[in-house]
This record gives sequence, structure tokens and C-alpha cells, in this order.
Amino acid sequence: MKRRITLKINGIEEELYAEPWWTLSRVLRDELNLIGTKEGCAGGHCGACTVLIDGKPVMSCLYLAMKARGKEIMTIEGLKCEGEGLHPLQEAFIEQFAVQCGYCIPGMILTAKALLDENPAPTETEIRAGLNGNICRCTGYVKIVDAIMSAAARTKA
Amino acid sequence: MVKMRELTIVGKSVLRGDAKSKVLGKEEYCADIKVPGMLHAKVLGSPYAHARILSIDVSAAQRVPGVRCVVTEEDAPKKLTGTGVVRDMPLLASGVVRYVGEPVAAVAATTVEAAEEAIDVIRVEYEELPAIFDIEVSAGTNPPVIVHPDFAKYRKSTPPERLCPERPNICTHIKIYKGDVEQGFKESDLIVENRYVAPSIQHSPVEPHAAVVVPEADGGLTLLTGKQGIYRAKEDVAAMFGIAPHKIRVAQKYVGGAFGGKATIYELIPALLALKSGRPVKWVMTREETFVLGGPRQGMVLWIKDGFKNDGTLVARQMEVFVDAGAYGEASPGVTQNCSSVAVCMYRIPHLKWDGYAVYTNTPKRRGMRGYGVNEVTFAIESNMNIAAEKLGMDAVELRRKNLLREGEAMLNGEIVHSNGVVECLDRVCESMKLREKNAPDGPWKKGKGLALGNKYSSPGTHYGARIHVTENDRIVIYHGADAIGQGVNTVMAQIAAEEFGVSMDNVDVVFSDTAITPYFGHGSTSSRTTFNLGNAVRRASDAAKREILERASARLEAPIEILDVRGMEAYVTSHPNLKVKVRDLITPKAGGEIVGTADYKADCVADDPKNGQLDPELARAGKRLMAFYAYAAKAVEVAVNVETGEVKVLRCHGAIDLGKAINPKTCEQQSEGGMAMGIGSALYEETLMQDGRVLNSSFTDYRLPLAPQMPANENMKSIFVESAPHKDGPFGAKGFAEGVVTGMEPAIANAVFDAVGVRIKELPITPEKVLRALHKR
Repeated sequence: MKRRITLKINGIEEELYAEPWWTLSRVLRDELNLIGTKEGCAGGHCGACTVLIDGKPVMSCLYLAMKARGKEIMTIEGLKCEGEGLHPLQEAFIEQFAVQCGYCIPGMILTAKALLDENPAPTETEIRAGLNGNICRCTGYVKIVDAIMSAAARTKA
Repeated sequence: MVKMRELTIVGKSVLRGDAKSKVLGKEEYCADIKVPGMLHAKVLGSPYAHARILSIDVSAAQRVPGVRCVVTEEDAPKKLTGTGVVRDMPLLASGVVRYVGEPVAAVAATTVEAAEEAIDVIRVEYEELPAIFDIEVSAGTNPPVIVHPDFAKYRKSTPPERLCPERPNICTHIKIYKGDVEQGFKESDLIVENRYVAPSIQHSPVEPHAAVVVPEADGGLTLLTGKQGIYRAKEDVAAMFGIAPHKIRVAQKYVGGAFGGKATIYELIPALLALKSGRPVKWVMTREETFVLGGPRQGMVLWIKDGFKNDGTLVARQMEVFVDAGAYGEASPGVTQNCSSVAVCMYRIPHLKWDGYAVYTNTPKRRGMRGYGVNEVTFAIESNMNIAAEKLGMDAVELRRKNLLREGEAMLNGEIVHSNGVVECLDRVCESMKLREKNAPDGPWKKGKGLALGNKYSSPGTHYGARIHVTENDRIVIYHGADAIGQGVNTVMAQIAAEEFGVSMDNVDVVFSDTAITPYFGHGSTSSRTTFNLGNAVRRASDAAKREILERASARLEAPIEILDVRGMEAYVTSHPNLKVKVRDLITPKAGGEIVGTADYKADCVADDPKNGQLDPELARAGKRLMAFYAYAAKAVEVAVNVETGEVKVLRCHGAIDLGKAINPKTCEQQSEGGMAMGIGSALYEETLMQDGRVLNSSFTDYRLPLAPQMPANENMKSIFVESAPHKDGPFGAKGFAEGVVTGMEPAIANAVFDAVGVRIKELPITPEKVLRALHKR
């Protein structure tokens, strides 16, 4: 039985009807067409569906939409820097050639944002540990790590 | 028209045009597509590896609310399909199932949940049959189970020399014979004979296989896909359903990774559902389904026997390679044929006997994976070279160098070596890795270094087109039908066109991957072929468009065409650049409208003799080849092996690749780094575990992929590009290399493990368990 719920996504209150067992990724992708949140395994293993809930990275394919009520949800569509333009992480991913097929990238960037919010000057080892839940089959992670280092340096400067 | 100019855009690391929309999360991949009225497909797979189907009852499934269509083989055309050389596969299992998970029925419903519920209530009665899983047993003359008793009746496009009727489960037998190996072994001082095993592994693109099939009013179909080879999908669907090919449109945008796996046919089931229901049907494989239906890599058993002189001269090589095709041929005959290339193009050997067998078993059908069998064969050859060097008391680098084929020599299949940068690859990785310097152990972690060479051919396939529109708003628009699978094809092609027209990247747009509007692109973006073939087609199409510009300019400027040139959207007299006309002024409706240049490219290749795999010597002398090109590679790695746990860590990884010309060095690095990481995965972690034909580890927790923490630190991943051996037919000398960057990783790591702790692992992956066992046995 669908219930009316309100979710705060990227700063906007979205009202919708959802089944109690619907995952957040399903609501984002199928009900709200926020397709920047990708789905790669639907089992919490690949990290493509990562979103931020109250600033923490969460695999939205394992997270019930009902549970997200009253929380701040951020998807890749909501990632912005102050003012206009791209977020420093997005800029760094472009400039460091961290993007190939791109399917894992929204999840990577949001994971990286949570990492840098908590630890603005991480070491390479800390970045790699932070990416442990995000699979990329294209890049070997080299340029993704470079991009996160570069974004960290840029934000600090 | 071709003038030597300094390159201004080709060779530069131009930023990728697709990166911005991807980091913003704006790109719609196939798995994201929604179409009004769309139904969702689910597939019922066989629970048995081999069984007779006695009855199928779909009545309960049809009554599930939301279900619009249930199909079984009764609804499917009575035809067999197959993208390989043998048409052996029904659309849905017909009378018999041959692997666990083989599609028996399919459902389309208004929701995924309704489709799943319907699948659960389909009743199928089976009579289980004995099944066969061991490829070496299956390859025999009297196997206990015959997977395809009707094999002789199937339609085939393979010469009879490549069939093997005395061995009933052999789908294809590839022979490459040169000289007399028995004589060669008699002349040898040392024989090194070993058996190697490379398991089935998973391509694992993060976007699962997906397709949306829309029925059209004219009886045709639109397929929105995320695959490799839109034209092959078009041909396969048209042939299966007897629809005129021009009524089938296949279109896609960016694909979320592929690595060979998305060249498999998976559109037929949603197409059948769409035709039967009259509604658009979307099928996204679950991750678990991709492990079975996605077409994993083959898995091989490789026997190799090498004969050497005491001075290290290779005299003879015999290889017997058993390729697990699974239940249907698909790509496996092609893999069995093409994987031999590394055995024929690398070393100078007077006597060679290669027998490759694609073998049916009751396991999932397979697809070629990045390397198309070459990585597995390279694992056997390059491991054996180190074993031989050890026995001969020779340096492993010098043993290789001594036997390497050089430019202008004949390969073992008669083809003449061209564009071979292997020696420079070898020298540069040895130097950068300091291969001969051993680092001190760190507690239980013993360190060692290893080297391997490799090579990846590119098959000629068919032909490859490009079209260029020059528009009145100063745009150069490239139309191409290749697949944007993450490799950056659109950026590289835009660079080539920008170079040709002397314009900036901002002037170039790319329209891609839509059979209704983009030119034919043969076998799709597989076999490392896109830069070479499409690059040539784009250059030729640019020439055609420029010729038209110059003809119109000639009339306008009243000057002969020979003294004109076009750069920066202006045509001008070369000796008097002020005498010029804007290209846009030549495109007005009065001047003839938009300028279009079309071109096609086909590599100058012929087929070998199926009796012995040899190229006719006369054709070889005339410059004909069997493969479009070969990209050579060398890998050097340093590993640490924990003698207490058996764990192996790759500390450093240097890969050199002979790519002819790096059109965009940073995107080349992307390929190289990703390829080396994939090689680390297949060397150390990856294996599709099967028990009685059932895949046991069909998730990313049970199937271990390389993750960021296990990869070497960034400063230790090094890509070396060798440009000293450009290909005469390559665009700006370039060759494709996106597979060659993986090739050689497994043996380099195996050789490094031996260097570290003295154990030789001949079965991939090199797990802690295997290392510990070998250490204990020593």
C-alpha cells in the first residue's frame, strides 16, 4: 500500500507516494527521474548508487525511502559549489581525466565529497581506503585518486 | 590533398568532451531509459545444467496482475542464432536446456515485481540428463555426454577443415602448422612442457547489460541499447524475426563499460516480448544474471611444449589449447582462432604446431573478453619462457630478446612483421623497473620482480564508415556508428577531424551510435579497432568534404583547385592567403547547401588457409595481412609475497605499449592504467566459481574485483608509450591498444612471484591458498 511521504532532496521538499519497501535508489531513479544516481548491482556492493544522507555516503539501493524522511538527501544533481558552476571535485574529475565510461562517477564523486568534508587533506592511502566501497572497472582508480587529491589541494588553497 | 603539417591537436591531451555531462550525472545510460507504456522483462532460467523439458505451464503466470505477455519457445521463431560461426542457439530453450540459467521462458509486466512474481509461478517439468563440465574430458573422442547431438545439422559458416566430427563436443578446431615440430623437438637440447589453466572471469562493467525494445507502427523495432556492435544487433534481430533490416533501428548513447561482454546477443528476448505484447519492453539484467547470461570469459586449459637449443634458440613449440565455450558457440570459435595470434607473431620459431579447440560443456555460453583469449595464451607462453630461462641458466630478458621477431621477418603464419615496437617496450620497462635489482624483504613480505611480453592483434572484421557534415554555422559534425564504451572515441575522432580541417575542438560535434543515421561500423567497438578503423574513415570523410569545399571555392574564387587549401573554415589560395572565401558562404542553399563527406575503411586483409592457418606466401609478398595490425606490449611488475599467509601484493606496475601514435596521451593513459588494474584482478583475484555448472559467486562480494586500496600507489603505476614503430595504414600511424595494455599482466605477476619466493603458479588466479600450498610443497 503506497503512502504519501516527503523527502528533502537537494534542498527541495519532494512529495510522493511510495511503497514501504521501496528503496531510496528506486524512488530517486524511477519516481523522480534523478538518474544521476546509478544502479550497478542492487546489492550494496558496487557503490554506483551512493548518495549523501545528512552528509554521510549511503548506498541508496539498500536504504529504504521511508527511512530517509526528515533527512537531508544529496544526489549528484544537487552537488554545487558556492555560486554557479561545477563543484571542485567535478572540475578535478574532468581535468585529471578521471572519467571513462562514467557510470561509477556520480557515486565516486559523492563518496569523495563525504571523505573531504571529514578529512580535507587526506593522504593517498586514506583516499584509497575511502573508495573501498566504490567499484570502477575502467580506470584502475589512478586518475580518480589524482582528482580527489587535486580537489583537496584546490579547496585548501 | 595530404600535406605534411605540424600536428596541432592530434597528439595533445585534449580534455574529454563527455566528462562534464558525466560528472554532472546528466548522461542517460541504457539502464536509465524510460519510455511511455514500457513493460519490464524478467527471464526464467533453467535450474539444471542439462535436462529435457517435458512441459511448461504458464497459465498461473498469465493471471498475475500486471502481466501483459509470457513467452516460451512456442512463441519464438523456429530458428537458431549465434554471433559466431555456428548457429546453435535457440532464442528460448527448445526441448532441452544445456546450462544452469539458460532462458526457458520470459515475462513482460507493468512492474518489475509483477514480472518476478509471474516468473515464480511458471511450472516447468524437467527430466534431468547427465551433464559435462570438464573441458578436457568433453574434448575427447568418446565423451560421456554430447551437448549438441544435432551439431552436424546446424548452419555453419566455417570451413570443414575447422570441424572435428570424430570429437562430438568440439565446436571448432583451429590448426596452425609450420615446419615439423617432432623434428624440432629432436633437434632441441631442452624441452619445457607444462599445463596452464586460466579460469572463466567476468567482464563486470558497472552498468549491467540493458536493452529497451520499442515496437514500431510499420512492424519494425527500435532497440535502445547499451552494447558493443549496434549493427550486429540489428542484423541478428532482423534475421531472427524475419524483419527487413531497414525497419530495425538500434541506437544508444554512452555505454557504462563493456570490455567485450556487451557484444553478446541479449536483445532477442525483449524483442520477442515487444513484438508479442505490442508494448515497449525493458530488460536490465540483474547483477547475478550478468554473471551467467552476460557471457563470461571462456576459461582455458593450455598445454605448451617448447624446444630450445642450449644457447636459448627456440626451435619448436607445440600448443594444445582447450577453450571452454560453454553450451553455445557464440564468440568461442573466434576466440579459439584469434588467441593463437600471440603464438605466431612474437617469437621466431622454425616449427610450430598449434591445435586450438572450442569445446562445448554444460556451462553458460561465453563471450570474448578484453584480450579475446590472447591474455590466457600469453600467460602460458610467457610463464614457460621464464621456466626455460631458469633451466638454461639464461637471463629471461636475453632469452626473449634473442628470439623476438623483427620488422620485415615472416611470422609463423607467413604474415610479414610490420610496426613492431616490442624491443623498445622491453628495454624501457626493464630500465624503468630496474628489473635486475632486487629489493630487501619487509618482514614476511618477500619481494620479487617479473617481466612478460605480450601482443594483441586487431581483427579486420568488415568495414567501417564515417560521414562528415560541414554546416553553415561553422560546425564540423562527425557521424559514426562505433560504440562509446568509455574509451573516449568521440574526443579522439573530434581531434582527428579538427586536425584535418585546421579548426579548434570547439568547432567539432559528434553524432554517434544510431543505425538510422550513422554509417555502418562492422563489428562494433571490439578488437581494439575503433581508433584505427574509424580514425581512417574520419580522415577520408574529412578529405571528401574538403574536396567538395575546394571545388565550390574554385568556382567562387575562379582559381584552379590545385592552388587552394582549406583551414579554419576558410578556403584560400595557398600563395595568396588573402584571396579567400568563408566556408559558410559556400554552403548557402544557392551554393549547393550543406557539404557532406562520406568514407569507408577496410583493412587490407585476407583469410588464412584453414588447413594450416598460413597466409598464402604470394599474398604476403603483395603486402596482404591476416590481421589489421598488432600492438606489442611489455609489462614489468614488482610484487611482495607474504610467506606466512601466501598473500600477493603488486607494489609496482610498469606497462609499455607500442601504440604507433598516442592521439590523446591522457586518454591512452586511462586505457593503460585501467588495463593493468584489470590484469592485476585476473592474475590475483578473479575466477567464476562453478559447481556442477552452477555459478557460485555471482555478486561483487563473492567475486572479487580490484578495489582502490589493493592497487599500487599512483607513483608506482607507470604507462610507457612507444611511438617508434608507427603503422603504415594507421591514422597518424596509430594502432588500437586497449586490449594489449592488459596482455602480459598475469605472467609478469606469476614470474615476479617466482622471483620473490621460488614457487611457480600455473593456474590462475594466484590465490594465497595456492601460494601457501606451493610454499609448503617446496
